[in-house]
Amino acid sequence: MLAARDGEEAIDLPADIQRELRELESRGDRITHYELLSVGADADGGAIRRAYLERSKRIHPDAWYRKEVGEFGPLLTKWFQRLAAAYQVLSDEETRLVYDREHKGELSASDRAAVDKRELSRAEGERRQRERRDRLLHTKGFARIGAARKLYEEALAHVQNYERSQAIECLKAARELDPNRKEIVSKLVELEREQARARAKSALASGKEREDKKLWAQAITAYHAAFQLDPKNGAAAAGAARCFLWQDDAQAASTWATRALELDPADLDSRLVLAEAFIALKMKARARTELNNILSKDPEQAEAKALLKGL
Amino acid sequence: MGELVIGIDLGTTNSVVATVQGGVPTVIPNRSGYRITPSVVAMARNGKRLVGALARRQAVTNAERTVVAVKRLMGRRWSSKALRDTVARMPYTIVQGPHEDVRIVLGEQQYSPPEISAMVLTELRLDAEAYFGAPVSKAVITCPAYFNDSQRNATKDAGRIAGLDVIRIINEPTSAALAYGFGKAQTEKQVAVFDLGGGTFDFTVLHMFKGVFEVEATGGDSLLGGEDFDSRIIDWLAEPFLKAHGVDLRTDKMALQRLRDAAEKAKCELSAVTSVEINLPFISATQKTGPLHLQATLTREQLEKLTDDLVQRCLKVCEQVLGEAKVHAGALGEVLLVGGQTRMPRIQTAVKSLFGRDPSKAVNPDEAVALGAAIQGAMLLHEEQEMLLLDVTPHSLGIAIAGGFFQKIIPKNTTVPTSAHHVFTTVKDDQPSAKITVLQGESDIATDNELLGEFMLTGLRPAARGTVDIDVIFDISADGIVSVSALDVQTGARQSITVTASSGLTEDEIKKATRANEDWMLGQKEDPKFQDRKARAEELFKEFEAIWPRLTRAAQDGLGQEPLQRAQAALSVARLQVAQKESEGLAASIDRLERMLGALKGALERGLKEEGR
Repeated sequence: MLAARDGEEAIDLPADIQRELRELESRGDRITHYELLSVGADADGGAIRRAYLERSKRIHPDAWYRKEVGEFGPLLTKWFQRLAAAYQVLSDEETRLVYDREHKGELSASDRAAVDKRELSRAEGERRQRERRDRLLHTKGFARIGAARKLYEEALAHVQNYERSQAIECLKAARELDPNRKEIVSKLVELEREQARARAKSALASGKEREDKKLWAQAITAYHAAFQLDPKNGAAAAGAARCFLWQDDAQAASTWATRALELDPADLDSRLVLAEAFIALKMKARARTELNNILSKDPEQAEAKALLKGL
Repeated sequence: MGELVIGIDLGTTNSVVATVQGGVPTVIPNRSGYRITPSVVAMARNGKRLVGALARRQAVTNAERTVVAVKRLMGRRWSSKALRDTVARMPYTIVQGPHEDVRIVLGEQQYSPPEISAMVLTELRLDAEAYFGAPVSKAVITCPAYFNDSQRNATKDAGRIAGLDVIRIINEPTSAALAYGFGKAQTEKQVAVFDLGGGTFDFTVLHMFKGVFEVEATGGDSLLGGEDFDSRIIDWLAEPFLKAHGVDLRTDKMALQRLRDAAEKAKCELSAVTSVEINLPFISATQKTGPLHLQATLTREQLEKLTDDLVQRCLKVCEQVLGEAKVHAGALGEVLLVGGQTRMPRIQTAVKSLFGRDPSKAVNPDEAVALGAAIQGAMLLHEEQEMLLLDVTPHSLGIAIAGGFFQKIIPKNTTVPTSAHHVFTTVKDDQPSAKITVLQGESDIATDNELLGEFMLTGLRPAARGTVDIDVIFDISADGIVSVSALDVQTGARQSITVTASSGLTEDEIKKATRANEDWMLGQKEDPKFQDRKARAEELFKEFEAIWPRLTRAAQDGLGQEPLQRAQAALSVARLQVAQKESEGLAASIDRLERMLGALKGALERGLKEEGR
């Protein structure tokens, strides 16, 4: 398909890039994020970023702007976008962890081993770090201030290296050593919030993925986790409500839909879920109120109209 | 070497054009020899179009027909809140245009902001052509990182009207970082760019590695710049004057222009000294008191107090962007200052205290942006440039959903080019069309965001509700410009989309404006005889200079001052004609000068003979 029969002479994209794009195309969705970035699954944050930039130089459309790329043009754009998306996932500790767990089956044997090893060595490294922090925590007198500063600087270095959880551990120890340093506390709060958001985000994503596969119970677990991590996440509550309704647990569905509506009163989908739950629970009056509410905001909502008619 | 390509920094107050020559980024001086061209366009009393320094110089006497800071109007909707304040402060007249956009009244005619910008771009293009001695059509133009889609489109339209093939629109701070990183391919560094120009503020964090420039996060305020600092000074001058004399100078267009000039001058001087005198004699007059004068002393400290909230607004943006880039202020490898307003000492100390380091002096704040644009042009078109720019979209893109809410589809700081899908389902049986409202911004409330356009999905196939799924694809190009296309999921048919609301010019209007600009340029085209005449005139100037000392002596020895005065007048007329390329007039002047020269030489010789006798 990509043999470029008529335009062969016209295309002056280097042969190796052409070959690479054809290969990517033939593998399609089966390619893992690690393979796309050409890194092993044992790569650290810095190596992943460098790999992303190096790979961009080869497949970013601008790198070949002056060339006649013919039908390879859209492929460059497509694969660069895939590359950027893969980098987005792997560049954050939390989303990478989730990716590793959920896509382990698709990884090559060596990458799988690398993921396992990385998890082991992370555990090992964390243990060693923990011991060191414990030692530092026993520092006495004025030296505690110095030890706290040292840990704070280490935390910043971890942040640079995309090791948020390590940074958080360092900051926790630093706070214990020197509770009065404002920057330690504020950085810690900031990172913890960021971590919760990142975790909530990936939990929400895996909830959606499972919901699409109609794995209701698993989806509910994921949505629930997302909601716990980020109690302002209306989408998580709405997702859980939908899944409960599918599972015919109207009681739970109504609870979650109510939560979703508390967070986002304009979420008409959740209001519809709530109405359906009320109908299932034979609470007709409340269902009617909700349906009328929906129709007052969106008079064209056909499902709400049909349900109201049924009542 | 490859094709000629120029980089243009199209600024609010000043513009700069640059190119990469022999591997070296260079600023192209304009035809008057300056490296900076004011972004000012005026229509002189005789109907002539003036651009740049010429336009700026006559601004006081012709304030109503002089357009400054048109960049603030680019891509703005007539109804937008942001526009109100700008309109009130401009000495020229701004009216509503046919597409909910704005038009500027200049004499008999109305112009859209892109057309005015195109006049500046045309001037820069002619400067570049004079520099290369060859036609130039390819250009990279910069815009503030925080510009939204309509503002970018307006910039691109301006380029087209000026007859330029705009191969890319790039962000100003990114561009400055390119100028900084040029030739430092091997270093890996994280750099922040603090760009406070005449009208806009941008803050960007980038990571450079082996010639790849990756933007990590960007943010800003497209209505915060040097002009706002000037406005504070204007108000500070005008308020007490209003109290004392009951005259609001800001409502008098000529006085406002004088205040504006004085405020800008005072602001610039206060970067070097701690106190300045502002003296504006005959600024106004009343029946009772006769002429009124304005006199004041502004200290640096007072200026800092007047503008403190503006500086704080900048710092707030910085902190937010640093958070988005997940960087600690102290961890940055370099902080670059770009834009004339960063010369203000208060800005420099604020930046220093935020980042805990002195800002870099490695780039020229006025020229770096244009140089970077030229580098990007060379990167795209020339083989030898092994550099790549990965920029991001500064605003989230999304659609309006039921209840007046905004649903994000592409989050801000996503690397461009990028695309995303969204599936729409019909809600009625046999629904023939659907409306999609595309917005850009960060607010959850749809109307708080910038409206990019309303798209109608038309000719939907008749089917039961919920059975027609339309996959709408949103693309953001490397220019940061959005396009929308749609596909019927079940049949795979392309769905037609029509734009029903957009603040830009229509294709026909752009074409018409492009033709008008071409006609103007043809009118400007110099007479083929002009160069010969210019050379002859310059010879004559030299000859006059050579005999001038002898003439002055002769004048005292009885020739009299009158012939010299007549010669001097004729010479200055001819010099003006050379500068303004008035070929016909110059021909007449040459005749006159030749006759005068002959007569004067004759007189000198006669004088010599008499002396010899």
